[in-house]
Amino acid sequence: MLFQDWIKDDSKIILFDGGFGSELIKRGLTSGKIPDILNIEQPEIISQIHKSYYDAGSDMCQTNTFGSTPLSLMRHNLESRIEDIIESALKNIREVCPSGCLVVGDIGPTGEFRPPVGNASSEQWYSSFSTQAKLLEKGVDLWHIETISDLEEILSAINAIRDISKKPLIASITYKKTKRGFFTIMGDSLEKCIKALDNENVDVIGANCTLGSNDMLELLKDAAKFTEKPLSVKPNAGQPIIEGDKTFYKQPVEEFTNDIREMIELGAKIVGGCCGTSPITIKEIRGIIDSF
Amino acid sequence: MSKEDFYEEMSRAVVNLDEDKALEYADKAIKENLSLLEVVEKGYAAGIRKVGELWEEGEFFLPELMRGAQIMQNCLDLLIPHLQSGSEKISRGTLVIATIEGDIHSIGKTIVGTMLRAYGYEVYDLGADVPAEKIIDIAIEKDADIIGVSALLTTTMIGQKKIVDLLKERKLVDKFKVIFGGAPVTDTWVKKCDADGFAENAIDAVKLVKSLMNK
Repeated sequence: MLFQDWIKDDSKIILFDGGFGSELIKRGLTSGKIPDILNIEQPEIISQIHKSYYDAGSDMCQTNTFGSTPLSLMRHNLESRIEDIIESALKNIREVCPSGCLVVGDIGPTGEFRPPVGNASSEQWYSSFSTQAKLLEKGVDLWHIETISDLEEILSAINAIRDISKKPLIASITYKKTKRGFFTIMGDSLEKCIKALDNENVDVIGANCTLGSNDMLELLKDAAKFTEKPLSVKPNAGQPIIEGDKTFYKQPVEEFTNDIREMIELGAKIVGGCCGTSPITIKEIRGIIDSF
Repeated sequence: MSKEDFYEEMSRAVVNLDEDKALEYADKAIKENLSLLEVVEKGYAAGIRKVGELWEEGEFFLPELMRGAQIMQNCLDLLIPHLQSGSEKISRGTLVIATIEGDIHSIGKTIVGTMLRAYGYEVYDLGADVPAEKIIDIAIEKDADIIGVSALLTTTMIGQKKIVDLLKERKLVDKFKVIFGGAPVTDTWVKKCDADGFAENAIDAVKLVKSLMNK
């Protein structure tokens, strides 16, 4: 399997894709709509964004299924359309994925929190992730669970996937920087999270979103102390700035890619971007990787 | 114990997330006929503000924040009936409040709702991640005076503007006052959106609502 070869090859740095939501916003997607429904409503735009990342040099891109869990779709009254949404998402990415590249099944947070923040239970999470994973399984080469802010939720997602799939799995949590170090908003420290993921049947441990590239660089240095597993990083392009009714990420691409270069030097196995990064960012990183 | 020390104890009970103590003090305050508005402001609200500070500092996280808000709410549920039956009863108004769609931050909005209830307003708290259309529909249904919209992310602030834009579209601008809350909100943003005001904290929110209700 290609991904496992990449993982074993010490000289291979795997290039992931960049931000998806921010690319949709650029193309006029209004806030409030769940991007997953666009797999059906505007498949050509979704394919176009995937293609722009593969063209920019991504080794792998992820399906537009961040919110395609029953729990998440329910908030938009779309849970009955989950099969169509995921089927279309797979078609949209499959038709532009070049040979030698991979399709990653994207699993985002359910948006439902456990008490005392919300009312979700591990069983609900598991069942929701399980439904999503079963529908995605046939069309993806590997998995990326991402932007999860609760260790318990990501463990539910890992269990759900591992019960139906043997494909490689990247598990990424999102952290905020506090005066005492990196934590999830639920209060789990980076050390606790990395050690917990190290004990799970996951192939790569990751961090994505929330943090800009400079904070992610700092996080990577810490994370590497707690695991021997390969690490994946997908930081944001700095912090968002709002102007008028649009959101911008104004960090210069060069600043971002310089941080990515340092992350590669520190041993990051998979690099890419999250909110605010674009095919331009990915193309620059491709240049850096190829120059190593 | 002096009154000030008693308030300090109430505040500490909230910060320590000690619900039993917090409720016990509320009960005592009622029995001892203390000024319950002062109890709320100097005791429980001070506590929840400290909880908010600890969140800022990275000492507390979402579960502690929510637990703190719940404890405060439960104490207020005990205090409010006494507050409103006594001489401290004030003129009421109706508010519909929510955190805007795409944003799950609810602590600030919950505290504001709690404080407003403590001051005798009728508050419908729709929770977090609520679409603008729904907020307006419920404001109509409840015949609200004020709509309060919270956004904690620069990316979701746009939803606050959408409320005013939709009200304009539906020719409802004169029916409701619209107020904003949330860390990224500024006066410039409020003016840009044609909203009626914003508050930096729950106490300011109460003052703002009072002044808008008197207009």
